[in-house]
Amino acid sequence: MEVKLDKQYPLDVDSARAWALLTDLKAVASCMPGAEITEQLSETSYKGAVKVKVGPAVAQFGGTVDVIEAVASERKMVLRGKGADKGGSSASMDLTAVITADPANPAHCVLNGQAAVIVNGKFAQFGGRMMVQVSDMLLAQFVENFRQTALTLPTAGGTVEGSAIQADAAPLSASGSTPAAAPVVAREINGLAIFWALVKGWFSGLFGKKA
Amino acid sequence: MNAPVQTAEAREIALAGMGASRLRKEDARFIQGKGNYVDDIKMPGMLHMDIVRSPIAHGRIVKINKEAALAIPGVHAVLTADDLKPLKLHWMPTLAGDVAAVLADEKVHFQMQEVAIVIADDRYIAADAVEAVEVEYEELPVVMDPYAALLPDAPVIRDDLAGKTEGAHGKRDHHNHIFTWDAGDKSAADAAFANAEVTVSQHMYYPRVHPCPLETCGCVASFDPIKGDLTTFITSQAPHVVRTVVSMLSGIPESKVRIVSPDIGGGFGNKVGIYPGYVCAIVSSIVLGRPVKWVEDRIENISSTAFARDYHMDGELAATADGKITGLRVNVVADHGAFDACADPTKFPAGMFHIVSGSYDIPAAHASVKGVYTNKSPGGVAYRCSFRVTEAVYLIERMVDVLAQKLGMDKAEIRAKNFVKKEQFPYTSAFGFEFDSGDYHTALDKVLEAVDYKGLRAEQAAKRADPNSPTLMGIGLVTFTEVVGAGPSKMCDILGVGMFDSCEIRIHPTGSAIARMGTITQGQGHQTTYAQIIATELGIPSEVIQVEEGDTSTAPYGLGTYGSRSTPVAGAAIALAARKIHAKARKIAAHMLEVNENDLDWEVDRFKVKGDDSKFKTMTEVAWQAYHQPPAGLEPGLEAVHYYDPPNFTFPFGIYLCVVDIDRATGETKIRRFYALDDCGTRINPMIIEGQIHGGLTEGFAVAMGQQMPYDAQGNLLGNTLMDYFLPTFVETPHWETDHTVTPSPHHPLGAKGVAESPHVGSIPTFTSAVVDAFSHLGVTHLDMPHNAFRTWKALREHGASL
Repeated sequence: MEVKLDKQYPLDVDSARAWALLTDLKAVASCMPGAEITEQLSETSYKGAVKVKVGPAVAQFGGTVDVIEAVASERKMVLRGKGADKGGSSASMDLTAVITADPANPAHCVLNGQAAVIVNGKFAQFGGRMMVQVSDMLLAQFVENFRQTALTLPTAGGTVEGSAIQADAAPLSASGSTPAAAPVVAREINGLAIFWALVKGWFSGLFGKKA
Repeated sequence: MNAPVQTAEAREIALAGMGASRLRKEDARFIQGKGNYVDDIKMPGMLHMDIVRSPIAHGRIVKINKEAALAIPGVHAVLTADDLKPLKLHWMPTLAGDVAAVLADEKVHFQMQEVAIVIADDRYIAADAVEAVEVEYEELPVVMDPYAALLPDAPVIRDDLAGKTEGAHGKRDHHNHIFTWDAGDKSAADAAFANAEVTVSQHMYYPRVHPCPLETCGCVASFDPIKGDLTTFITSQAPHVVRTVVSMLSGIPESKVRIVSPDIGGGFGNKVGIYPGYVCAIVSSIVLGRPVKWVEDRIENISSTAFARDYHMDGELAATADGKITGLRVNVVADHGAFDACADPTKFPAGMFHIVSGSYDIPAAHASVKGVYTNKSPGGVAYRCSFRVTEAVYLIERMVDVLAQKLGMDKAEIRAKNFVKKEQFPYTSAFGFEFDSGDYHTALDKVLEAVDYKGLRAEQAAKRADPNSPTLMGIGLVTFTEVVGAGPSKMCDILGVGMFDSCEIRIHPTGSAIARMGTITQGQGHQTTYAQIIATELGIPSEVIQVEEGDTSTAPYGLGTYGSRSTPVAGAAIALAARKIHAKARKIAAHMLEVNENDLDWEVDRFKVKGDDSKFKTMTEVAWQAYHQPPAGLEPGLEAVHYYDPPNFTFPFGIYLCVVDIDRATGETKIRRFYALDDCGTRINPMIIEGQIHGGLTEGFAVAMGQQMPYDAQGNLLGNTLMDYFLPTFVETPHWETDHTVTPSPHHPLGAKGVAESPHVGSIPTFTSAVVDAFSHLGVTHLDMPHNAFRTWKALREHGASL
């Protein structure tokens, strides 16, 4: 089944640092709960893994992530991820992420994400009706991790544009600049936590409507 | 040995024969949990099988790695198509003249297709090992829409059929095309349309649904390597056909194959076919020399065993301006899934769909059905109906409503105007069916009066006039005719075996009896009703008549139970077998009473000498004599076998009316009233008939209001658990009102027509008719099923009727 996501997340991080992090695929992957880059295959191609745990069921997706496009001038990154697990699920995602500046506050930016996620097999059959909610949850966790990681990056000395060009010139060197004091990120997707968040979200929606 | 003198009426009541609401003999064991289902069967040394299934809908198998699974302690074997190839069992023939993969051979064609099997010491180890089998797929483009499947550049689903331009039912004109089947007279129908004063057309989709019996499919196969015989306990609605197929596939002589259908927890067409799981369990037992059990779980049952319906239908009616129907045209695109595994009589790839002219005297009609492959599970069985009759009845009943709407006529009035009249029977339809008997007008009047139809229409008009009414009120009406009791062997066969059925009756010396049948009950109550037929025919109390079915080693050959054929076909076989015994008994009684046979009268349970009530011999006395001292020239014993090949189908009918109130705010539909009048001819056990009608109406309610198999564009089945798939419980089920008329079938020995499927076939379009009727003043002519709250709410919004 296919889920289309179109999300905007305002961040209290300046555009330059956000873009710098976005171009560091290894660091970005570590912001996704349960995900990691295991191997770099080429300049634009990576091998990765995602571990998802929902209750007693654990799925281990292995696959590839390809950078389709990275346009520094637009701060736009286009990725394609594909993976499968041995238990009979597969997933693919086309993601376009764009960092836009917050005109009101140069220290802030907006992370815009558009994604088309296709899930097949057991996950689609049994998780289909929760796909949108779970994706929302995952993205929210990802964005929080992304924000925290970006905040630990050193602020750029020069202008916003200057640092972006620098990041574009050597996108992978940015990983070297990732500080040792990495923030605490959730290491795997926890089904119970997702469920709890869903229940909380549902209740707040319920009472929010009444209020 | 004469019993105390009782009146004939009292003796007749004591028999509990035909017409008695005898309590079901089966229930004593079922309500105590003492049934004996396939999964109750345990054999010494029995192993367990589980199936590795495809997670994707279409793809090539790149690699299968069994190592990790085989390394698990307790795993005996992991088999794939490559292992079955040397036995030529990796593909098997289907009932529809196609072939189906037993285990996926190089590619998978639908999600949950069988890819490999695991045999292990217990069910748990088998399930763990299934997880450990690694299968690598190369995904292929998926085709889920049958119309898209017929486009020139559509992906090829069946590589194995490459170059085959001829199918089991004629020419194939596209790689995803299975057959095109025509019935009726196209030029006559076209002429009727060319000359019509009024025409209407409507597209409708009858969704893919699943019979979903409470018990899933399974078997225990036990091959004895010493004796070389094979016993298989199996959830089959047609055990004798299974025996023939197993013998043909395995090469084991049919005399060494024993198939037993024990208690079956509902079939509804789902247990007619032969599934890969059965074949694999049997092969495994032969290979390992040990009993092997396979029982599928619910998800496997809904995802991979036979579905029903999935018909995309276009109907057209031609009529005069005053509402007399002059012509009917129907075009269907039928989604058969990846293999054509429809369970139909061989010559009818769309079953009895040509009953589509309904209860109406339509002079010209034509129907065309095109079968198409898609990346969905195979099937196309008769879900509580007689081979696509449900689809046909749905179409014609919807079309008559659409025509009534166009002409501004009342839907009861237009039906009465077009009914085949009582005096026209036997009536030959434009499609060539010879309707045996019917009296539609009397039945319709009875229903309209019972529900105060005029009053309901007045109430509806008042509600429509009130803009603040919280509900929309709809009245559904259906006046259907079914064709059941397949069937005359000159027309109907399964794999070349004529669709007769059989009965063997033995009267024991002390007057009790055993009857064995070629059918198999799955909840219909055969043990109860069959005994009642014999009781009436032979004057033996039904209580002492044992009915046995399902064991091919003891029962006579029969084609099984589906398509409402038990009473029309096997019921007739019982009556005629009993009459053979009756004829012999009369000879014996004449001998005992020392009179001529012609001087005897039969009365309830005895032969009487004409004119002298004191001289008689009961059937019990005759039975003793038959074994003790039969008359000279007569062989001892009192038994008979009859194989009944019906001269025609039977045509039960019904008039159903439903009143719904649709909540304009939520879209929820409340079934306020459902009135079902059925005419199944002679009624054998009114209580069982009522139970069957309640069950059929409830399943019809399920289909109309909630059931569907929702596939996404990638071929994932998103509703294969009972969380998603709607099975109504008593909480959701509305109250049913039942009624009947009796129009016996003139060609059936008992006049009985069969009933179990009528309520399913008839009720589904009644619900749609009611829901659409609620919207009809807004110009809506049709709404597709299921009529769940969400879809109805969307319709309310779309037509400006929501609150």
